[in-house]
Parts: sequence; structure tokens; C-alpha cells
Amino acid sequence: MGLKQIELTVNDFSHPFLVESDETLLFTLRNRLYLTGTKEGCNQGTCGSCTVLLDGKPVLSCMTPTLRCVEKKVITIEGISSGENLHPVQKYLVKNGGLQCGFCTPGVVMTAVPFLEENPDASRREIKEGLSGNLCRCTGYKKIIDALENAAAEMRS
Amino acid sequence: MKYFRPNSIDEYHELLVTLKETSMSILAGGTDLMPRWEPDKGLMPDVLIDIKKIDGLMGIRENEDEIIIGALTTIQDIKKSILMQNEFGSLSEAARQFAGVQIRHRATIGGNICNASPAGDILPGLYVHQANIQLIGPNGSRSIPISKFIIGPGKTMLEPGEIVSEIHLLRKGVKSLFYKLGLRQSMAIAVVNFAIAYQQDSNGAFTSLNIAAGSVAPTIVYLESFVDAIMSGVSLDEAIQHVDIDISPIDDIRATADYRSTALKNVLEYNFRHELHQGNE
Repeated sequence: MGLKQIELTVNDFSHPFLVESDETLLFTLRNRLYLTGTKEGCNQGTCGSCTVLLDGKPVLSCMTPTLRCVEKKVITIEGISSGENLHPVQKYLVKNGGLQCGFCTPGVVMTAVPFLEENPDASRREIKEGLSGNLCRCTGYKKIIDALENAAAEMRS
Repeated sequence: MKYFRPNSIDEYHELLVTLKETSMSILAGGTDLMPRWEPDKGLMPDVLIDIKKIDGLMGIRENEDEIIIGALTTIQDIKKSILMQNEFGSLSEAARQFAGVQIRHRATIGGNICNASPAGDILPGLYVHQANIQLIGPNGSRSIPISKFIIGPGKTMLEPGEIVSEIHLLRKGVKSLFYKLGLRQSMAIAVVNFAIAYQQDSNGAFTSLNIAAGSVAPTIVYLESFVDAIMSGVSLDEAIQHVDIDISPIDDIRATADYRSTALKNVLEYNFRHELHQGNE
């Protein structure tokens, strides 16, 4: 089939490898780079758990052809903290207990980080709207939204 | 599957001449296309042409008479546009309620039009503002009103080799609103949706009225009988009964035909009373 040699920049590292022309960024990240923090939920653009940043914008990696990501910067959940120093969004998800099984959490973080960076003064309603593309089947969302409010407060200060 | 990424419309047309494969898909945002891919079952096109890099098809610009939206403009860019918010409220609101932020960053207005879903959220606003769709083909360009361009579910007037380049909206100072009833706040495909474009005199009477509804027929439909009844001055309760003449809903996984009909009438009535201040609030 159509294997192509490409270079992909993920979490500030450039990786050369072969990809199929029809594979998704989600497949490439998990199966070729072993970055399994990005989760495969519905695989049809409904649940938000495969969210990554493409040139700083949150996109669904299950709906993004890998070949389209050449010359762009991909950031995954593995690239959000600096070592042990968690991003405020991660820190407050832990503090507030904003996760139970944790499957949706990488997608929540990858959606919340650019949203709060762009809208540090977001109201609770706006945070809910910003996160409305991410499904969580455990927590009922309250603790997630609480955590994001706390994270926003820290990001403002 | 072969993958191509032309940088210009000319390059795209040159590419088409050289291709011999029979099944071909055009990739814009990919948010409707990719969920349908099933590599395991061989349900893949032989050729994928990624048009996202084609120059000059992105962005919103204006002149005295028109707002012109490039076909590759993302839904997020439409949502953020102050120009759209001020002059084309229904389109701005539809963009706000469109899927979730991850999809809005990828999905394009041209893709939403060419996908021609009976439930497409951007479409009712384009219908009530009588948008013209600009097409570019190997033999030149042409312009078609949106209601003529879309001819059935997933079917358009697009000829082989043609792509949608721009959407033209006349600046007539008409106000508009968009309403969507879905099973979830976001990512939901509409059970019913509609846009209303209107002008009112100082007493609140309509001087113009145009309504288009989605998910209640094979394409978006104008609610002409309902609008005629309202304009003739009958009561809202009586006029609302005319809605059934305009629509032909079906049962599917999201809702039954009966539910769609009842729901559309209820949410229309709600909007007429509370947003447009008709009848008793």
C-alpha cells in the first residue's frame, strides 16, 4: 500500500518514520510512537478523549490524517507537564478529584489548556461550553469544572 | 490509497487530468469524511485529495454589498467573526452550537455545504440569507443559490472537477436567529434545527420573513406555508398548523417523524413568542 516516509514533530521532538497514507494521527501516536496517553474512545469524533494540539489548537486525532500533520507541531498529553511539575489544569484535576477512571482525562486536559490560556477569565458557564466536546462517564463533570475554575484562577495570578 | 495535496486550484485541476482511479474523496476538514472510513472493510477511496492547502480559499472578507466567506474557512473562524455576529446572527449562532471546539477547528463551511446533510447546522442560516455558492471548475466558475445547489441527502450540483470556492452573502440588514434541538448540548446532530431571517416595523409586525428548517426533509426546506400564514395575519396557533405542509420528516435513529413534527412546531412557537414577541408570551 502507500507507505510514506515522513517527519512528524511531536512534543518538540522530530521523528522520522513510515506511515500508511490512510492512517490517523491517533493511530500513529499510539502504535508507532507508543504515546498511549492519547486515548481511543469512540474513534468517530464524538467523545473528545483523543484530543491533541495541532499548532496549538485542540483537534480530534481520530479524525486527522497523519499526512496532514507534516510541518505542523503536535502536542500530546505527554508534552503538557514539565517533568514532575504539573500544569495547573492537571494539578487541580488531581486536587479536586476531577477524575475517576481517568480515560477521558487526557482529552479534558488537552481541551482545557488552550481554552483557559485563551480565556483565563472564563465563567463557569463558559468553561462548561468550552469543554462540551469531551465526554466523561464517571464524575458527572462537577469536579472537572471545579478543577478548571481553580486552574483558571491560578493561571490568572 | 494515494494521497495528494495540491497548492492551488490550477494544480488541483492538473492533478485530476492525470488520475485514472475511479473512487476519489476530497478532504477539507475531514470531520464528516473520516468517521465513514473503514479500512478493515476496504471502505476507502483509491485517491484522497487534501485541498486544505489550496491558496485563497480561507477567510472572511467584505465589500459594500456582500460578505464573502472562503470555502475552507473553519467553523471556529465563523464563530469568532464579529462581522458575522453583527450581520448574520443565525450563522454566527449555528457556528457557536456546532459540534465541539475540536471539530470547529477542523470543519469547514465548504465541507458542511458539500456534505449536504439534511441536518447540517450551518445550512438553515445560508438558506434564509439566500447565500450564493461560487464554484470553480476546469472550464471556469459559476454561482448557484444554496437551495438549488443542494438536491438531496449528500447530493449537490457539483460537477466532476468542480470545487466550492466561496460563499456570498448579501448585506441587506436582515436580522436572523438560529435554533437547534439536539440530544446533547454539543457534538449532537440536530433532531430539528431552523433559522429565521426577518425584518420588523416599529410595531413588531414583520415586513419580511424567511424560515428554513433542517432534519425534517431530505434537504433543508423553506417553511413557506407557515410564513405565508403568518404574513396573512392569522394567529400563531393557527399558522403553526401549516408547518406540516412544508415538511416531510422520517423516523431514524435520532427521532421519529411524529416527534420531529411536534418538536419543530413547539420550538418554532417558543421562538416566535419569546424571541420575536408574537402572540402571547
